[in-house]
Amino acid sequence: MKILLAEDDFASRKFMDKQLSRYGECDVMVDGEEAVDAFMMALEDDEPYDLACLDVMMPVMDGYQVLKAIRNIEAQKGIPKEKCVKVIMTTALNDERNVKMAFELGCEAYAGKPLDVEKFEKVLKRLKLI
Amino acid sequence: MAEEFNTDSMLSMFLYESGQLLEQLEGIILDKQDEDCFDDADINEIFRVMHTIKGSSAVLMYENITKVAHKLEDVFYYLRESHPDDVPHLELVDKVLAVSDFVTGEMDKIKDGDNPDGDETQLVEDLDEFLSRIKGEIKKQGIRLPKENKHEEPSQFYITPVAENDSHFYRIVIHYRDDTQMSNIRAYSATYALKELAEDLLYSPEDILTNEDSSNTILMEGFHILLQTKSSKEEILDLIDSSEAEKIDIEEMTANEYGRGLVEFGMGDPSEFIHLEEEKKEVKVQKSTQKPAPGDYIVKAKETGKGKTLAKNQHKQQTIISVNVEKMDALMDLIGELVIAEAVVLQNPDLKVPGLELGNFQKASAQLSKITTELQEVIMSMRMMPLTNVFQKMKRIVFDVSRKLDKDIELEVIGENTEVDKNIIEHISDPLMHLVRNSVDHGIEENTNDRIKLGKPEKGKITLEAKNEGGKVYISVRDDGKGLNKEKLYNKALANGLIEDRPMSDFQDREIFRFITLPGFSTKEEVTEYSGRGVGMDVVVKNIQSIGGRLDIDSVEYEGSEMTLVIPLTLAIINGIVVQVGNSSFVIETASIKEFVRMDNDALVQEPGGEEYIVLRDECFPFIRLNERYNLSGSADNIEDGIVVVLEHEGNQVCILIDKLIQEQEIVVKPIPSYVKKVNGISGCTQLGDGSIALILDIAGLMLTEERR
Repeated sequence: MKILLAEDDFASRKFMDKQLSRYGECDVMVDGEEAVDAFMMALEDDEPYDLACLDVMMPVMDGYQVLKAIRNIEAQKGIPKEKCVKVIMTTALNDERNVKMAFELGCEAYAGKPLDVEKFEKVLKRLKLI
Repeated sequence: MAEEFNTDSMLSMFLYESGQLLEQLEGIILDKQDEDCFDDADINEIFRVMHTIKGSSAVLMYENITKVAHKLEDVFYYLRESHPDDVPHLELVDKVLAVSDFVTGEMDKIKDGDNPDGDETQLVEDLDEFLSRIKGEIKKQGIRLPKENKHEEPSQFYITPVAENDSHFYRIVIHYRDDTQMSNIRAYSATYALKELAEDLLYSPEDILTNEDSSNTILMEGFHILLQTKSSKEEILDLIDSSEAEKIDIEEMTANEYGRGLVEFGMGDPSEFIHLEEEKKEVKVQKSTQKPAPGDYIVKAKETGKGKTLAKNQHKQQTIISVNVEKMDALMDLIGELVIAEAVVLQNPDLKVPGLELGNFQKASAQLSKITTELQEVIMSMRMMPLTNVFQKMKRIVFDVSRKLDKDIELEVIGENTEVDKNIIEHISDPLMHLVRNSVDHGIEENTNDRIKLGKPEKGKITLEAKNEGGKVYISVRDDGKGLNKEKLYNKALANGLIEDRPMSDFQDREIFRFITLPGFSTKEEVTEYSGRGVGMDVVVKNIQSIGGRLDIDSVEYEGSEMTLVIPLTLAIINGIVVQVGNSSFVIETASIKEFVRMDNDALVQEPGGEEYIVLRDECFPFIRLNERYNLSGSADNIEDGIVVVLEHEGNQVCILIDKLIQEQEIVVKPIPSYVKKVNGISGCTQLGDGSIALILDIAGLMLTEERR
């Protein structure tokens, strides 16, 4: 499985990288724009990501913008829904409004930080990623 | 950030909503437990409750709750679709209560931070068994089974963060030995070490890495750290390298103290910390009042020595609370009273005793006047509201009326953010509606061909504009329709006996246009649903005048017309000049006074009919003697003994004779008490400094009564 991780905080990045690397190849980005670039690049190389874990508070573009951009790109390229990348937002911003907005923007899951690793794995199973 | 770590609002929302739903559910059950069966509304309601709980618990991945709720939802699905008779009601009640208890129990566990690990298998089996019995019953009764209740797997999940211990807040002060080299670097390594367990970290001085001088400050005042963490004091002490430190103080504090930051302790640059605190507050306000949007959470590039800040924080956000209008009105009244009381004190007759030393009193009173003036301004600005809502209504009216009349009209709105007093908004809404309707109905041509012939675009245009100028608000409704036909107006007014029989050339354009505001005037031959009933413009004018405003009408035939409401910004306090006639005081609004003049008897022209005119610089003005008008005695009859005041209202001028000028002051307008009969030319009264009452002259009314004579 190919994973895109966008996270600007070093400690979280290291932790997430470690967690995610168990499931597959993990590309680590430090800001929102890089994440979108990486996503585009992977699409162009025809090796799209299966999972994207996005932090919300990031430089240049925030996680919601990245999510929106990704969904827009996918819509524009006409990628069928089942082939779209699964997106999990990982953030401490778990205000109900924020979560709802993220769901509306089309993420698959919204994980509050600190991350509940067990539940996270459960979700990956439900999303049929592992 | 502290709150966000400790409470999960997504979770509390789930708990709150589900708690409410369960209460509702139990309410229904307990209400209906003694009856024979649930009615349709109840079944629907219970189904909905279970469906919601099922959905939200699935998103939060509380599987046992989901399963139970799902089963009960199924049961009620069949009840709802097939309406079987002979459902064992009591058993059903039991089942619902069991489910409700189960979910409540699990929710309590979640509330306490435990895992909701209740075993649902028994309950689900029971429900299954019950369900199959109902299904059997349905079949037996010969009702077709509805198709399976489709259960949609949730496709979005919310992963709740791991429950954590409560955070502790510490204040740490490290004093290094006086001979310590590069204490700033040591301080930095301390903060670096603490970062590992810190949830939030503030320190002072801030610029330890970039500013070498900070090492001196650290040596002098010690290095101050505020730390939010879950760790204990011992763990913190272990992390700080104490080799060069003389003394390390650790003190636990409350979250509140922590929130107040370092300022409280007299360290650091207070302005900056206050600033930080303000920012924090602003973030909170935003959260509660605004929906987040993508792009709100961009982290600005880090500056050295500063933590992360969010892009959105940069803007100063206004905090808003809603206040009951009654309280505002009460405050407004009180301030009005205060202004009067101030005048009573400052102009107290006792002060007129000769030989009093009033220097300090004058200074103090100047200060008091300044404050009351500011107070007025503040309360005025508090009562200001943008016209947005009113204009919004007008958009709707234009849309509705133009559709109904089959006219193609575009509405342009300018200056909808103009702010006016709330009272005024209430008063102008109806008049404005009238004007807009009139423009749509009478203004814009019925036939687009007429427009094309005149070289106008097919689509009619109405412009609604508001602006704020010189203490007045101008709201205009402009259309590019057929405009007003002066001849038609004149003839009509004449025919309806609204004006004296004078030739049309006697009237100015504006005067003729104003005919349409006379009661009982309507130029439109037929009456429509929207306008033309003959009531309207006169009511509009009356409403506007009641708040001290006026209506200006301008029109060019075939090009369009413009109706402008000119309204004072506020109602209650005006700037006026107090004058004396005989023993009575009058107040004249400063804005309507053109000039004060001393006149000779030669300037007075007396008509045979008794009307008097004053000729001033070759212009002739009507002349009113206030003492005659209001039967006042003891005043000057000879104009050489008094002062002539030239007043202007809506472009018309009139002169009045007064005895003397008293002073200019802020006047709190009070209505004339209802037990006094309506007096023409007087719009209100006020209390003066010496406690006496002054009457406020209503220029428009004065002119009107003069014309009628």
